[in-house]
Amino acid sequence: MRRVLQSMRDGIGFDTMLVILTLSYLLVFAGLPLIYNVVISFQTVDVFSLGTLMHPSAGVENYVDIFEDRQAETVLRNTIIFTLGSVALQFTLGFALALFFHQNFTGATWIRGLFLAGWVMPGLVVGVLWNWLLSGDFGVVNYVLDGLGLIDEPVFWRSNPETSLYSVLIANVWYGTPFNMILLAVGLSQIPEDLYEAAELDGANAFQRFWTITLPMMRATIGAVIALGTIFTLQQFDLFAAITQGGPAGSSTVAQYWSWELSFREFDFGRGAVISVLMIIVVLIVSLIYVRSTKAETQL
Amino acid sequence: MSRFIATSALALTIGASAAMAQDVTLTLWTESATAPEGIFAQEFSEMDNGITIDVREIRFDDLVTDTLRAFATGTNPDLIAIDNPDHAAFASRGAFLDITDMVAGSDVIEIDRVFPGPRSSLSWDDRIFGIPRASNTIALYYNKDMFRAAGLDPDNPPSTWDELLAAARTLNDPANNVYGIAFSARASEEGTFQFLPWAQMAGGTFDNINAEGVADALELWNTFLSEGLASPDTLTRGQWDSTGTFNGGNAAMAISGPWELGRMASDADFDWGVTLLPVRAEGGERASALGDFNLAIFANTDHPDAAFAYLEYFWSQAHRIWPEFTRMPAIEGVELAPTGDARIDAAAAVFAEQLRYARNRGPHPEWPRISQRIQGAFQSVLTGQEEPQAALDRAAEEIDEILN
Amino acid sequence: MSVVTNRALLLVAIVLAAIYLFPLYWMYLTSIKTQSAIFSVPPQFLPDTPQWGNYATIWELANIPRYMWNSLVIATGVTLITGILGAGCAYVLARYRNWWIDMALFTVLMLQVLPPSLMVTPIFVGFSWAGLLEYPRFAAVLAISAKTLPFFVILCRAAFMTVPRELEEAALVDGNSRAGAFVMIVLPLARNGILIAALIVFMQGFGEYVYSASIIAENRLQPASIGMTNYLQPNQVNWNAIMAYAATYVTPVLAAFVILQRQIVNGLTAGALK
Repeated sequence: MRRVLQSMRDGIGFDTMLVILTLSYLLVFAGLPLIYNVVISFQTVDVFSLGTLMHPSAGVENYVDIFEDRQAETVLRNTIIFTLGSVALQFTLGFALALFFHQNFTGATWIRGLFLAGWVMPGLVVGVLWNWLLSGDFGVVNYVLDGLGLIDEPVFWRSNPETSLYSVLIANVWYGTPFNMILLAVGLSQIPEDLYEAAELDGANAFQRFWTITLPMMRATIGAVIALGTIFTLQQFDLFAAITQGGPAGSSTVAQYWSWELSFREFDFGRGAVISVLMIIVVLIVSLIYVRSTKAETQL
Repeated sequence: MSRFIATSALALTIGASAAMAQDVTLTLWTESATAPEGIFAQEFSEMDNGITIDVREIRFDDLVTDTLRAFATGTNPDLIAIDNPDHAAFASRGAFLDITDMVAGSDVIEIDRVFPGPRSSLSWDDRIFGIPRASNTIALYYNKDMFRAAGLDPDNPPSTWDELLAAARTLNDPANNVYGIAFSARASEEGTFQFLPWAQMAGGTFDNINAEGVADALELWNTFLSEGLASPDTLTRGQWDSTGTFNGGNAAMAISGPWELGRMASDADFDWGVTLLPVRAEGGERASALGDFNLAIFANTDHPDAAFAYLEYFWSQAHRIWPEFTRMPAIEGVELAPTGDARIDAAAAVFAEQLRYARNRGPHPEWPRISQRIQGAFQSVLTGQEEPQAALDRAAEEIDEILN
Repeated sequence: MSVVTNRALLLVAIVLAAIYLFPLYWMYLTSIKTQSAIFSVPPQFLPDTPQWGNYATIWELANIPRYMWNSLVIATGVTLITGILGAGCAYVLARYRNWWIDMALFTVLMLQVLPPSLMVTPIFVGFSWAGLLEYPRFAAVLAISAKTLPFFVILCRAAFMTVPRELEEAALVDGNSRAGAFVMIVLPLARNGILIAALIVFMQGFGEYVYSASIIAENRLQPASIGMTNYLQPNQVNWNAIMAYAATYVTPVLAAFVILQRQIVNGLTAGALK
């Protein structure tokens, strides 16, 4: 017993305990619900028997239905565009802003804080505001573009099947940029100044310093931010609900919205769960990439 | 005065019968505690009858899912106020208490006074599973000032589809940011609510959505959009926001319901009126949508009598639904007391007439799925992806699959 | 940095912020517009008849202090659970490199894949079996923490990666236990990253909607995110009230975070390393 206690305080037991505690918590409160979703994706679920795990088996029927659905192709394409587009833009803008505010000019830290506004506002409110801003008739975006002479006639961002997905994407980039910015700002502030000073003495220009010091030093942060950004984007729901409801004619439906629609508007929980299982596979891949990427991290 | 006596007498009876029983606490789930059922529940609780009702507000979008979830785990409330197209799903599964016999024995509730539309929404297999809270429907709002300016007669608003289309063309004025008409063709229940009346006026029904003539209704909607007579955002905008543009003077006509009256009376700085939804052709069939909620008791409640006593109290207050809540009673023979605003009173009379043609959506336990197919049809036509008849045929086929 | 560059950068920063904050401005503006002015063409950039009464109305009707208090309780609970469980785990995941650690990291990330709207049904059912629904706010905290924890672990892990291993080893040589070295040396050195991650977790807990909405049945225990949605009624949405409500709760939170992020990112810069 003493040895166990000793190990808890001082040896490998200490490490194991820390990880096991957290993992157990997650497995109970997030793992079990996940398994439930996987299980019901193979079942015919009756809305009034949600409270049990025992439903008639459906085999792979739900999966076949989803793949044969007319919407499947659009949803897949939309999900890819939305996720890659959002993550790439959020990250780039977030990084650019973090670097910009890292220059320590007067007021930089205050103004950087204001950018957190997007993250503080409730998703519903953000959605509604962008719904109005992107409105074809009374929207401010059109008003400004028109004032600048960039468009001749109003663009109906939300209601044109060609642009509807992008209207949500714009809002999502706005929403997610502060998260990227603040985390990357922390990462930047962790890099010791003397590294840069030494490089400068060696005659490295700004670009070289960024490439050889900033990027490698921030690898852990960048990996974390991109992995988390991808997962957040895959979970984005409020903006779709408030801006396009996945329309018009399904043109802006993405996987998570479709899954919700099937589960909670059509009460077809089995098929809704199929999409969540497919999303699990995507995140599985993202997680693998992330875990692999950590191999190349630099520890001070 | 007689109402007052009836109410007090009822309060006394309930008080007397419950005095013997233990104190009872019931729960009621609703979209709003300030809606009639919430206010009446509070009054009912304050009476000396041993019954207290706890009201829980749930966002409208979550009401059905939260309730389903709670029902599946036995944590559901005793009473619920539920949107009428969702009623059948619960009634058909035995989740709601069959109150047919209680109603027959009640001195207060006269179920035969309920209008046919709401009556259909709370019935399943000829049994009664609740009482209506109120009713609403849609009609045509129009801007009388714009009618005058365009040389149209404000006292003779469009009464057929052709007249409506002609008026929309005349009133449409893109240079001044004015659309001919505003409505909602959103991919949500609101869209179905707005579309079905047009389909029904053309002879269609939800289980026969590709009936001959429905394509004309869809073509009418399509014309509004393709000719720019309505905003393209009609596809992604709800009724409330669409009518907002009417109030702001950016649409000459709007299709919406009585819930708009309060905001319009205070915001619109022009003369407006309401008329019945135009029919397909002179003397054609009338139809309109039927909205609003029903009140139901859950079958697994421990206190069915106390819950029913609340329904009786609610019923006895029907005369207050219009003056205090600006909602239309779903019961025949309830007078709409004047509100003091002539425009609202005139509109109320129109809506009261329109309500007589209001048809229930369903009833069918799979209503949300059926509705989703209907939305799919009009949205794919309005975005130019399909021809009206083809879209309706496909929707009809999919709906048949759901029905059988 | 020259004065000119300084001024120029500040100017650029202000312009960027003005563009970025426009939706926030629109929220404030809408909160004092009349209901139909929201939809007017061309858009109104300044209210012609400010409706300050909207604020009085929601303050009176919406029970904001009670809702804010509940949000605060939930956010604090979430931050505590997440912080306590997450920091240690993140530390271990940063310190070692082997197959087990990779698997653990992988599992942590995987477990936050599904949106809350798809997780809430099984969680609700499970909680109802376990009797947790009797303690609704606590139950909501447990559920929300499961969502914020993976996120927190990944971020903290990145923060721990920046702590030089030698410092910890030096502490061990000085006679500290592992636990001692973790608390006394490693945690303080990684605090920037941990605090900012905790701040984000707090914000998430504060604004969380989906779990609270279905787990907390009693209105008096619900957080502000739910109080706001009472204005979303079928066919009829009081947008001005919603925006006034949102403004009332966003403003103090934003102000607090502008100050805190400044302290965290800059005040405690990695200078401690030197």
